Amino acid sequence: MANSLLSKMGSLRLAPVIFTQPSRTTTSKHFIPKFKKQRAQKYLKVELPDPNEDFAALGPEKIRQKMKERGLLPPRPWMERPFYISATGGVFEPYVPPEGDGKASLVSTTRAKQAVQLLEKKSKSMMAIRKIKSFEEEFDQKEFVQKAQETYIKAHEILASGNTKALRDYVTEKAYPEFRFNTLSKTIRWSFLESLEPPRVVHARCTDVVSKENIYGQVTVRFHTRQTLAVYDRFGRLIHGSEIVAKDVLEYIVFEKHLSNLYGTWRIHEKIIPDWTPPKEPSKLTRLMPEPEPEVVKPDKVESIEGKETAAIADK
Amino acid sequence: MNQLFKRLCAAGLNSNQVHVNSLHTGITALAWSKSDLPKRFLLHNKKVYPPQSPEEEPRPAFVCHQKTNIKYSPEKLWYIACLVRGMTVDEAVKQLSFVNKKGAIFVKEAILEAQELAVKEHNVEFRSNLWVAESFSGQGMVIKGIRRHARGRMGEVRYQFSHYFVRLEEGKPPADYYKVNPQTPQQQLNNWLEQMRKRKIINSY
Repeated sequence: MANSLLSKMGSLRLAPVIFTQPSRTTTSKHFIPKFKKQRAQKYLKVELPDPNEDFAALGPEKIRQKMKERGLLPPRPWMERPFYISATGGVFEPYVPPEGDGKASLVSTTRAKQAVQLLEKKSKSMMAIRKIKSFEEEFDQKEFVQKAQETYIKAHEILASGNTKALRDYVTEKAYPEFRFNTLSKTIRWSFLESLEPPRVVHARCTDVVSKENIYGQVTVRFHTRQTLAVYDRFGRLIHGSEIVAKDVLEYIVFEKHLSNLYGTWRIHEKIIPDWTPPKEPSKLTRLMPEPEPEVVKPDKVESIEGKETAAIADK
Repeated sequence: MNQLFKRLCAAGLNSNQVHVNSLHTGITALAWSKSDLPKRFLLHNKKVYPPQSPEEEPRPAFVCHQKTNIKYSPEKLWYIACLVRGMTVDEAVKQLSFVNKKGAIFVKEAILEAQELAVKEHNVEFRSNLWVAESFSGQGMVIKGIRRHARGRMGEVRYQFSHYFVRLEEGKPPADYYKVNPQTPQQQLNNWLEQMRKRKIINSY
């Protein structure tokens, strides 16, 4: 094969250079190079903008220069900090669920010990409930627990329906982002089947924020229920749980109310997750393990660069 | 003639400066103007499809991506967009790296970005298991320039920008995307028979 090729193409070495070397057949060059400059002058020079300019890569000095060119004012520094007073930012003296709650028998020694400890803590809860009653005269634990369960069910149903505005009535500002975390563009099918044990108040606390009269009440309710949960991704593929298999769920939900507010309501504030909770079910989505990133050694020249830049801006 | 051009040009450039009188029409107000980038194509990424039952075939994931305002002619970009249609991602990237055109760089970049997006945000497990389901170009902004003609006349120069849109879908590409391979006589007969059997005879029963 090689032999025959050589014998066929062997005469190429005799051909002139113009045939053996590749040459461009189409060029944008004019056939008379003499008046190139004059031809260029026919076009008015237009400065084309660069729409895909990466402003993040530019230094502050360069951005300042560009803004001056276009006559733009620098953005106003945003000094204000948003501050919500309709809900607190956390749970104070959170409830510590007893180990093996909902599973271990009441007769076991650990449960007996914890029951004694609980009695001691109960006095504080009683005080807090008395305080709540001073603001809300018709506060009754049995009625409250029923309402709390309704709120709990309603909040989850609304979350599944995706009505974010209605969710604000059942969830505090602190819990709202935690509720909606990872729910975007997913379909949630949630249903409440039954209560295995009647819900009960296990913990109550009151605290004041900023001033003495500004009081918030937090009540922890224990729910032991049966639920089904199925989560589908954007394309309708199941990624978590199942619509058929029901699960027993033991939850400690903190409800909060701004007691000083005449129009305050009891809303879901947080879920207490004890240390002994069984590990989460792995996701049904599988993905490749990412490769370990190579370590980058940082140079120690950051300070000197910053000093230069500030000086350049300050000289104006 | 050149003086006229210069004055015209100066008028164009002066509009960039701040006028004290035009408070609401000045360039500072324009800084917060609405973006005129295409946004409908990306809305496909937000559509949520209804859940599927376990016996159904899982819906293939897809990702839409666009590259906007490329300094290239949309007409020239169209040829490159057509080239990669119906190819797997790896094949498209390989082919594009041998296309000796400026637009091929942008298309390749867009496809690689879309692939990254698919894996990161759209639940695609294997990055190679994607094919180019849609690929087309669109016209972006056009800046008009002036050129000089004889006898004191002017001509228009269009500095065109273009958009590139791509949709990658999970799975294997169709065997013959452009239907270039002719059907065998047996296939033609089968198709015809199926077509005939499918037709509805009105008022038959």
